[in-house]
Amino acid sequence: MEIRGVQIDDTFAEAFGMRGARIIITAKNEKWARESANKLTGFATSVIACKCEAAVERELAPSETPDGRPGISVLLFTMDSDSLPKRVIERIGQTVLTCPTTACFDGLPDSPDRLAIGKPLRTFGDGFQASKMIDGQRYWRVPVMEGEFLIQETFGKAKGVGGGNFLILAESAEVALDAAEAAVESMAGMPGVILPFPGGIVRSGSKVGAKKYKGMIASTNDAFAPTLRVITRTALPEGVNSVLEIVLDGLDFRSIATAMRAGIDAACIAGVRSITAGNYGGKLGPYHFHLRRIMSGDLDDAPKAASAGPAAQP
Amino acid sequence: MSDRITLTLRAPLDRALDADAIAADRLAALSAQEIAALPLWDGRNAVALGDVFSVSGERAQTVVLEGDLAKLRGVGSMMSGGTLEIRGSIGSAVGARMLGGAIAVQGSAGDDAGSAMSGGSLVIAGNAGDRAGGALQGASKGMTGGHIVVRGSVGREAGARMRRGTLCCASAGAGAGLGMIAGNVIVAGAIGDEPGAGNKRGSIVALGGVRVPQTYAYACTYRPPHLSLMLLFLRRRFAFPVDDAHLHGLYKRYSGDLAEIGKGEILEWQAT
Repeated sequence: MEIRGVQIDDTFAEAFGMRGARIIITAKNEKWARESANKLTGFATSVIACKCEAAVERELAPSETPDGRPGISVLLFTMDSDSLPKRVIERIGQTVLTCPTTACFDGLPDSPDRLAIGKPLRTFGDGFQASKMIDGQRYWRVPVMEGEFLIQETFGKAKGVGGGNFLILAESAEVALDAAEAAVESMAGMPGVILPFPGGIVRSGSKVGAKKYKGMIASTNDAFAPTLRVITRTALPEGVNSVLEIVLDGLDFRSIATAMRAGIDAACIAGVRSITAGNYGGKLGPYHFHLRRIMSGDLDDAPKAASAGPAAQP
Repeated sequence: MSDRITLTLRAPLDRALDADAIAADRLAALSAQEIAALPLWDGRNAVALGDVFSVSGERAQTVVLEGDLAKLRGVGSMMSGGTLEIRGSIGSAVGARMLGGAIAVQGSAGDDAGSAMSGGSLVIAGNAGDRAGGALQGASKGMTGGHIVVRGSVGREAGARMRRGTLCCASAGAGAGLGMIAGNVIVAGAIGDEPGAGNKRGSIVALGGVRVPQTYAYACTYRPPHLSLMLLFLRRRFAFPVDDAHLHGLYKRYSGDLAEIGKGEILEWQAT
């Protein structure tokens, strides 16, 4: 399969089950909502070292938020249910509670699985906090020096998918970055999906473990590192001098597949040789995003089957 | 099965009747004959509902009452579901102790509307009498949940001893929120004297100005973040008349009643 002269490899991205929450931050204006969201999602690129993966999902107009103010929707994922409330509580506590003018709401109101988030955070109020029931939901008014911080008592929990990905193999670093930026721009604001890495782009795709250093959880993906082409078992076709990766987490398979389709299509620009994806041979992750199926418009979860082709490891 | 049950008053009432048999959930499973046989009470004497009302429809979730019903007491008492539509004015204790469902009164209501209710909604297009959302006689708590929306005025002691829930109205008589334990009284216009006397943790929101009792003390002027959420909900759900200026405006916060634990508040909107 080719798109505008760019080969789409017959392979798949292998992804894992995660647990996620959607956090709605509102503020006096978009600036302060963004400020808080940027802090909340800071240092949240990979569960490997950050304990969670988080990013801005999209901006919300006042008509879309519970309190009629400008807002930002954030998705945050962890590998297990137990750590999800811990990460959400510590991040909201340090980055939303502290931020001028913000309030914080659940973005998954239909989820039957509820996490106590505002409930523990209310104790910052040292007994001066007060609750209000509004439309069947409890909210906590926590007195702070600025005035009051408002937070919903419980947040919904969702089963998510983490580690959707594709790799852009380009003739130069400039082209790879242009293509990756175009891909990120095309996926920006898509519902149910985040790109947790800086600017949505990863330059240091990794493999599991290491060849030289025992105990490493991950190390450089040497098969896709152009400087190592002649001294390792390379996966790079001729003419490829730079590779960038896009990693996606989402609330469901279809959201990721939909975003991947848009992103891959946008990345097919002159100077890009091929698009491939990272997997572990299909043995570890239950979610397989087959690039050619996705680009053919098949966006639903398919029966698992390992594909042939080079196996990059995200 | 019908889409609604309609009860039409056969003749004007010359004396008060207790009509707590009339509630949407209690009528929902009954045939027209069974509905007509339900008792209304004239003091200690039972009167068949069918002698007072003509009944049309059966086994429906919506009940419509028609006629001059101002002498009918306790309609919708302990109602837990369904819809009760009252086309006219209604007597005292409408929706008292109701648990759920919706009651809409197209006219005005007498005293004790929604007293001790714990859920559902009671919307009164006209005025309501004294003690709306308050406590039953001798009880320690008024309403403990649900919403009372009065588009006109409420009488004295609205929301007295309320524990939870929201009462909102265009204007309120003296003693609104008397002895509130918690919950919300929201008044779009004028409020009578001594609002929130004995208030423990309740919120009285005055969108049209208020004479603050001496047992309250000014704390600050700020934008209460929960109010925009609450007022938006009331506007969306009940078409309560709230301007955008109210949603995000400044409010003076008075803490009180300081003769009590002082965790209650009066929030007075500041026109800019």
